[in-house]
Amino acid sequence: MLKFLINPSKFIKFSDLVFKPLVIFTLLVFIIGLFYVYKSPLDYQQGLTVKIMYVHVPSAYLAILIYAIMTIYSIIGLAFKMPFSFIINKAIAPIGAVFTLSCLISGSMWGKPMWGTWWVWDARLTSVAILFVVYLIIIFLYQTFENREVREKTVAIFILIGSINLPIIKFSVDWWNTLHQPASISKLSSPSIDISMLKPLLIMILAFSLIAVIIAILRIKAEILIRKSHL
Amino acid sequence: MQIFKKIKLFFFRELKLFYSKITDLFSNILFFFLSIFVFVFALGAEKALMQTIGVGIIWALLLLSSTLSIRRIYEDDFKNGSLIIMHMGGLSYELIAFLKIISHFIFVQIPFLISIPIAGLFFNININEIIVLIITFAIGSLILSCLGSISASMNLLNKTNFSIGSLIILLFSIPVIIFSVGIINSNNDFTSLLNLLFGIALIFVGISPWSSASCIKLAIKNK
Repeated sequence: MLKFLINPSKFIKFSDLVFKPLVIFTLLVFIIGLFYVYKSPLDYQQGLTVKIMYVHVPSAYLAILIYAIMTIYSIIGLAFKMPFSFIINKAIAPIGAVFTLSCLISGSMWGKPMWGTWWVWDARLTSVAILFVVYLIIIFLYQTFENREVREKTVAIFILIGSINLPIIKFSVDWWNTLHQPASISKLSSPSIDISMLKPLLIMILAFSLIAVIIAILRIKAEILIRKSHL
Repeated sequence: MQIFKKIKLFFFRELKLFYSKITDLFSNILFFFLSIFVFVFALGAEKALMQTIGVGIIWALLLLSSTLSIRRIYEDDFKNGSLIIMHMGGLSYELIAFLKIISHFIFVQIPFLISIPIAGLFFNININEIIVLIITFAIGSLILSCLGSISASMNLLNKTNFSIGSLIILLFSIPVIIFSVGIINSNNDFTSLLNLLFGIALIFVGISPWSSASCIKLAIKNK
């Protein structure tokens, strides 16, 4: 059933089947999410700027999630020699880079009114900036080598080495004293955020993930078609 | 003991090549001192400021000036075919990569250690910190040689983008810099941080011969 995740022709069939309903559903979820964000209460300290959270948190979450997916696919590609996983890696790396950039930009726009500075050299911010540099190096490495096989293997190894950064990003707010606040949703006890703000946030996270899935489907299909026409 | 004789001959060859290109090393050291002067001119020569930021500047500039010499590790031997001849002579590519790392460490990075006390004089760093700086750089430069071997063997494979190797070296040298400057700034837990740095060095010594050997093999196959 989950064969479409590792087989290109099955993936194309599955994505053709699912694409149009997915677009309609995403539009619906996004509009509902924006409506809930509009209705959500203002913070008693931060005022209107708290609504930056509804862009900042989903893009940060997706930046890390996309890198984790790339790590899993490079393990699969190196261990079981599946070329489709390298196609996915190539297709979704720019998406992750864009979400990381949007996380950094929205974060610094949030930080200017709240912390009084665009940027601080704190552990969470620095490690996310390093994640962005890693994404950029992955995109550059795809343009570098002439031999396709060499290129894919080198990038997969680089992705595996760069995945050391992920636990550092996740636990940086616990290990060091940072200006960035610790995790409020993804922790074992009950979330330390009010339900009236949690509901729009979760809907926005779902909407952002669905948008990422749509762009990823388009890019992966384009990549498969390019390779078919070359071979 | 055929293999030890081969290793000895390998080192003699590296030594001769090193002496024929010794001006390259001198110009690297000159680059290091000139960039220190540029920093001093840019920041202004206040004594207190120099003492606080001196160690960090010396480390960053040592890193940058040792990346200058890294591109040449395999390129000449690859172009004139010496690598294939050494392999036909019975040395595996992994052993060649390991010996290249060691010889680069001995012949290029160790002479840099002489320039550290002189650079410390410019920044008014006291003698204890200079000794710690020399110890950390001796371990850290081994890591830099390993990273340099990986990036130089990757440069054999591409013919378009040479600066990507330096980018990768700079990215992976971030933990090295964090631990080395951390050793100097923290007074109490000297040995534990030094052990951590040494552990990172051993990890890289273990990994880098294999990864650079696989890159060299691919480069020879696609030549």
